[in-house]
Amino acid sequence: MGSGVWSTNVYDAAQSYRAATGASAFGHTDGGATTTHPDLDPHGVTVRESRDNDEHPESLAIAVLFDVTGSMGTVPRVLQTKLPDLLGLLMRKGYVEHPQIMFGGVGDATCDRAPLQIGQFESDNRMDDGLGKILLEGGGGGQMMESYELAMYFMARHTALDCFEKRGRRGYLFMIGDELAYPKVDRRLVAKVIGDDLAEDLSIEAVLTELRRMYEVYFIIPEGGYHSGDPRLRDFWRRLLGQHVLYLDDLDAVCETIALTIGLSEDAIDLQEGLEHLDEFGSTAGPSVSRALARLEADRAPTAVSASPPGLDDAGARGTTRL
Amino acid sequence: MTHRIVVDLGYGDAGKGTVVDWLCARGPEPVHAVVRFNGGAQAAHNVVAPDGRHHTFAQFGSGTLTPGVRTHLSRFMLVEPLALAAEARHLAALGAADAFDRLTVDVDALLTTPYHRAANRARESARGAARHGSCGMGVGETMAYSLEHPDDAPRAGDCTTPGRLRRLLSALRDRVLDAFPEADVPDVDDCVDAFTAFGERVRLVGGDHLHRLLRTGNVVFEGAQGVLLDEWHGFHPYTTWSTTTFANAETLLDEAGASAVRLGVVRAYMTRHGPGPFVTEDPALTTDLPDRHNAFGPWQGTFRVGHLDLVALRYALAVAGGVGELAVTHLDVARARRDLLLCRAYEIDGDPLGALPVGRAGDLEGQEALTHRLMKARPVYEPLGDPVETLETGLGVNVGLRSYGPTAADKVTARPSRPGPTTRR
Repeated sequence: MGSGVWSTNVYDAAQSYRAATGASAFGHTDGGATTTHPDLDPHGVTVRESRDNDEHPESLAIAVLFDVTGSMGTVPRVLQTKLPDLLGLLMRKGYVEHPQIMFGGVGDATCDRAPLQIGQFESDNRMDDGLGKILLEGGGGGQMMESYELAMYFMARHTALDCFEKRGRRGYLFMIGDELAYPKVDRRLVAKVIGDDLAEDLSIEAVLTELRRMYEVYFIIPEGGYHSGDPRLRDFWRRLLGQHVLYLDDLDAVCETIALTIGLSEDAIDLQEGLEHLDEFGSTAGPSVSRALARLEADRAPTAVSASPPGLDDAGARGTTRL
Repeated sequence: MTHRIVVDLGYGDAGKGTVVDWLCARGPEPVHAVVRFNGGAQAAHNVVAPDGRHHTFAQFGSGTLTPGVRTHLSRFMLVEPLALAAEARHLAALGAADAFDRLTVDVDALLTTPYHRAANRARESARGAARHGSCGMGVGETMAYSLEHPDDAPRAGDCTTPGRLRRLLSALRDRVLDAFPEADVPDVDDCVDAFTAFGERVRLVGGDHLHRLLRTGNVVFEGAQGVLLDEWHGFHPYTTWSTTTFANAETLLDEAGASAVRLGVVRAYMTRHGPGPFVTEDPALTTDLPDRHNAFGPWQGTFRVGHLDLVALRYALAVAGGVGELAVTHLDVARARRDLLLCRAYEIDGDPLGALPVGRAGDLEGQEALTHRLMKARPVYEPLGDPVETLETGLGVNVGLRSYGPTAADKVTARPSRPGPTTRR
């Protein structure tokens, strides 16, 4: 039998919990860090890889990048507590057998200390550790723009996915935020943040075309962000991504939304089945997920088949209609 | 994926902590999480690092000294937030400063509070000499209260809603003071403050968190106490209010569609901390073989030592449903003490008894009758011989791990890791 060796003093305990360094979620940020954690620094990174291995013979890459600036308020912290459940959710109903998930943070390269933070693709709890290393900026530029274009550039040129290279299956990239991207990938910022030497600036459309060869790209706009209701925001991302822009009225439903989006895209389920699964798990996210994905579902018409990315010059781009 | 469940086949103190530490530090496969599935803060699993650092694990998993290894307290665990804070502080002093960051707690886990502890101590003191050997931590009271007032029992998830928490703790405090007006209990405000801080600092998770842990890496389920103290199969009333067999772990695994190797831990001799039947107890051994980490406790009494008892261990195997492998500890002691004996049978009122009857779970009267018989039993001894061989032949199970000292460096695997039979699925 054991014994009560540890103090059960109520005052000591309260003080202990409050004094414990590093908050549970963002240990890096709450530990007082002001710069990108070295593990997440994109500078000089050749490639972040999602590779098959013995345990995960058919990996599927899923990247989730979220805005870490002040305009998002407490959204990043909520995301941090919700996202670790994503893996389990994807696997429980077999939407994806071998997901490999990467997390990252997007800031503003013109003024932030951590403009771009990119973790690794992980198929286990190490991705929680990655989340804890993300620096939450606060602040923000005040121009309703963040450097999503840099993030997209990195994902397009500095990731390698076995699902794509070996099986021709695209991975998934979810960006979550409430601001616009800058219209051009600035070569000077690329040199500074990522370390590549580009001959000239790239248009965001060109980068997106490259990116969509490898990834299904979604942009999630959560209610509660500072600019969430601004019509310019919706118009901007709609123009780029068509119906792959999702409005989410309850951030607590973010995992479920991502999981069902993937489930739909993988043809593992239709929306109704997915919502039933959520019920089955006792998740209360159903109504929010349903509202967020209703448009996607409507576009899952059997006649809409296009394996190639849509013409991005077209102002009415329909996004990938493979769904 | 090879998950393992580590359970003590005796009365506790066989060395689960050191076995779990070894599995995490240098076991056959990397372990990413330790899951607690019974008992509470009264567990005392001693782990000594090769460099001499020592920690008595109570709520954190005994693999915590290995960097990166997580602890998950499942819904079957009784969580004591106050002791948890003190334990984390000591772990930080030993270099594991991120213990809280590596901890998750199921929202449904019951909370043990100062009010439960006060009730426990008041009740046990009233029993006088007939005390049950409780640790005085309030674990039994926590279970009793949750059965009597299922909707009012505070759970880990309540720590995130201070209003509800305050209501639950007030009701609990009032009930304890009604029963024991003299009980020394803290103010509800102070308790709410500490428990809220716990809720803010520790990551509270739903049941699916464990499913994910099981899918994404090797997990060790760390049992507390021992099978012979089991609430239903132990020798009533000298038992713990906890299912100490593999049952809870199996339930959690079943829910996740996973399975595990069952590992039974035994010492090369027997020990018992506290009162209750102990047929092979030998006062000479108690005097000669004090346990470094188990002294006399005011709530448990003395630490008792006896000879290897195959009758009791066979009974433990029977009620636990068998094991895949054994881990045998304290073999260094057996090597040094050539006078250790082996008991294959008891004698009760002149009649030999080789096996104890296995009653159905819940028949506490039957278990109490068994306890009365055991109090009269006398051991029939023979020389111990090689304890590993003796245990393998006597129990019909392979010994997968031999331990000759307190650290992970003192462990020897019997054969290259060959997974034993897994759980029934």
